[in-house]
Amino acid sequence: MSRKTVTMIVLLSMLMGLFALPVASQEEERWVGSDDLPVNPLECPEGFGPEATEEPAEGAAEAEMMEYDGGQPVDPPDLAGQEITLIDIPKLIGIGYFNATTAGMQEAAEELGNVNVSTDGPTEGDIVQQIEFIERYITQGVDGILFAANDPVAISPVLRDALAQGIHVVGYDANSEPDAREWFVNQAEFNGIAKAMMDSMVQEIGPDGSFAIVTSSFTAPNQMRWISEMWAYAQKCYPDLNWLETVESQEDQNLAFQQTQALINRYGEELDGVFGMSSVAFPGAADAVQQAALCSPDDADEDVAAPSEEEAIAIVGLSTPNQMKPFVENGCVESVVLWNPVDLGYAAVYVMRAVVDGELQPGDTEVEAGRLGTLQVVNGSEILLGPPFVYTEDNIFDFDF
Amino acid sequence: MAAVEQQPLQTETFGQRLRAWLTRLVISQEGILLIITIIAMLVLSTQSDRFLTARNLTREAVLLFEVAMMALPMTYIIITGGIDLSVGSIFGMSAIILGFAWQDAGLPLELAIAIGILSGMIAGFVNGLFIVRVGVPPLIMTLATLALYRGMALGISQARSARGFPDWFYEVGRGDFLGLPWQIWILGAAILISAIVLARTSFGRGLYAIGNNELGARFAGIPVDRYKLIIYTFSGFMSGVAAWIFTSRVSTTRSDMGTGIELDVIAAVVLGGTDIFGGSGTIAGTVIGLILIQVLKSGLLLSGVKGDATTVMVGAVLILAILINNLVGRFRS
Repeated sequence: MSRKTVTMIVLLSMLMGLFALPVASQEEERWVGSDDLPVNPLECPEGFGPEATEEPAEGAAEAEMMEYDGGQPVDPPDLAGQEITLIDIPKLIGIGYFNATTAGMQEAAEELGNVNVSTDGPTEGDIVQQIEFIERYITQGVDGILFAANDPVAISPVLRDALAQGIHVVGYDANSEPDAREWFVNQAEFNGIAKAMMDSMVQEIGPDGSFAIVTSSFTAPNQMRWISEMWAYAQKCYPDLNWLETVESQEDQNLAFQQTQALINRYGEELDGVFGMSSVAFPGAADAVQQAALCSPDDADEDVAAPSEEEAIAIVGLSTPNQMKPFVENGCVESVVLWNPVDLGYAAVYVMRAVVDGELQPGDTEVEAGRLGTLQVVNGSEILLGPPFVYTEDNIFDFDF
Repeated sequence: MAAVEQQPLQTETFGQRLRAWLTRLVISQEGILLIITIIAMLVLSTQSDRFLTARNLTREAVLLFEVAMMALPMTYIIITGGIDLSVGSIFGMSAIILGFAWQDAGLPLELAIAIGILSGMIAGFVNGLFIVRVGVPPLIMTLATLALYRGMALGISQARSARGFPDWFYEVGRGDFLGLPWQIWILGAAILISAIVLARTSFGRGLYAIGNNELGARFAGIPVDRYKLIIYTFSGFMSGVAAWIFTSRVSTTRSDMGTGIELDVIAAVVLGGTDIFGGSGTIAGTVIGLILIQVLKSGLLLSGVKGDATTVMVGAVLILAILINNLVGRFRS
């Protein structure tokens, strides 16, 4: 062996070691856009993942035993059965998603007959402005505050102020710290959504495909949770999937469009699928794929030139049906994963009414919520809306929000 | 005899001077703005009995704090004919660096606070350095650093936020001193010092001279470059202090904090009568401008106007205030 060959081999192995190092450390870490909270992946579908996982019952029992960890208002006035005025302060106003929760709230208020609820908030998802709105509505004097937090920690001091002044506080969609509100209506457990998302994606690209994620922001708590659970679930059930990259879209559809275009250009044929993690990221991503003429070829009725199976890009994500209808209609998108935000707003008002009436108290395990029936209490002080909902070609046109 | 004659003469002069002074005050830009603010407060107080309460006013003062702290140096900068669009990004970056130095670098929190503020000063100094030495127009330079500093905040934070500070850290953001929130004392002192420096020192007069005629100011021996460096660094410093106290109030740091806040700052300064082309303006005007905007935001919401409609009305009142100001300005000369 010549000295040159030896040198080459040494250099090559060093180079490989250099690459192996970050890979090895990445194995421990989670995917970009995740948080560092514990994860709890659900059961794999038939034929994937490890054989029959042991004692799932133990985990469930543990969750049930978790004690109430919410906060309580200080000397709230007794308004049981009386007319109450609520203010709903979502992350931002003027987008389809929160219009739908507002619609659900109005529906519940009408049914109950003794609730006035109005929605107000910033026009951008900005925590600084959201805090100002809450401060001012505390001053104005309301009986209860419903909120969807732009930041779980930053919103907490002002909510504790509200509790200290005897105002009831119930969160929905995006949580605060538990002791800063009484209850939180959880639209879907993160592991449930993660499972639905990954299963839908694997159905389209197979268990060894490559995909990228378009998230709203690396600091949005919901998005971070979902990505963590998706990562954990994929590690368990689809270890051969190839995770390419996570990019931010800042609740801006145009940016989501540009980011997806950049992904298509960067990865070319390697890119098999894209997750759109929010109601603006998803249509933005779908639009980019459609304009690049890379929608799945299995829709023969499309008059655009169908790309080869290699090039085609599947898009799966979270969004409201109305925004995705055009893409579902022309076959570009097959599954839209979500809960029903109308139900979410509806449940939030019912929970608030039950709290004010004293029907939902710390330690209770369920609550009646009108047409939704009985909802379960999970994680101490959260109320679970139910399993996620996958909108497809067959049912999406039954919904209008 | 002479003394008897002088007596009525002197009184008359004093009366005349008082009247002239009052007229000047009323038709000055600050005076008109003050009258509009008082009218707005009176009208809004009839709409909600929770508006003109000590509780609401202190709460609003706390909400106003960050914008107000940045509006003081912004007044200086706009008087010289410059602008600083990067204050919101410096604000976000300082907060992130504070959190990073404490949580990730493991430094004592006192030191982390100092580093956060220092990083704001350095960011402002860099703005000033390029404007002065390279001759980049302030609009271009700070537009570039608006993106640059925000990008650094995102990069340093890696999407993670610092939280779980010790209890004493929250005192300045949420605690009281002699019955009033800390923010009011700090802001009060900052306003007083900024106003005195601008109105009563050669440095302050130098800023007006730069805004009126920069070349002339140079020939007059005013150290134009040094003054500019000082005000942009001061701007970074105030953004850093605001970031520290804001972090203390909301108990966490986020890389998107203060996005778009520069527009609120500039709006208040310009509403306060500072000429966007430089040469004139006062701290008093800026303070009244800040108060007017805050009064409208708070009062309208308490009277039952929704947030989006409030934004429209604030915009309308801004235009109205400037129109009235211009109208009276014609009589002024």
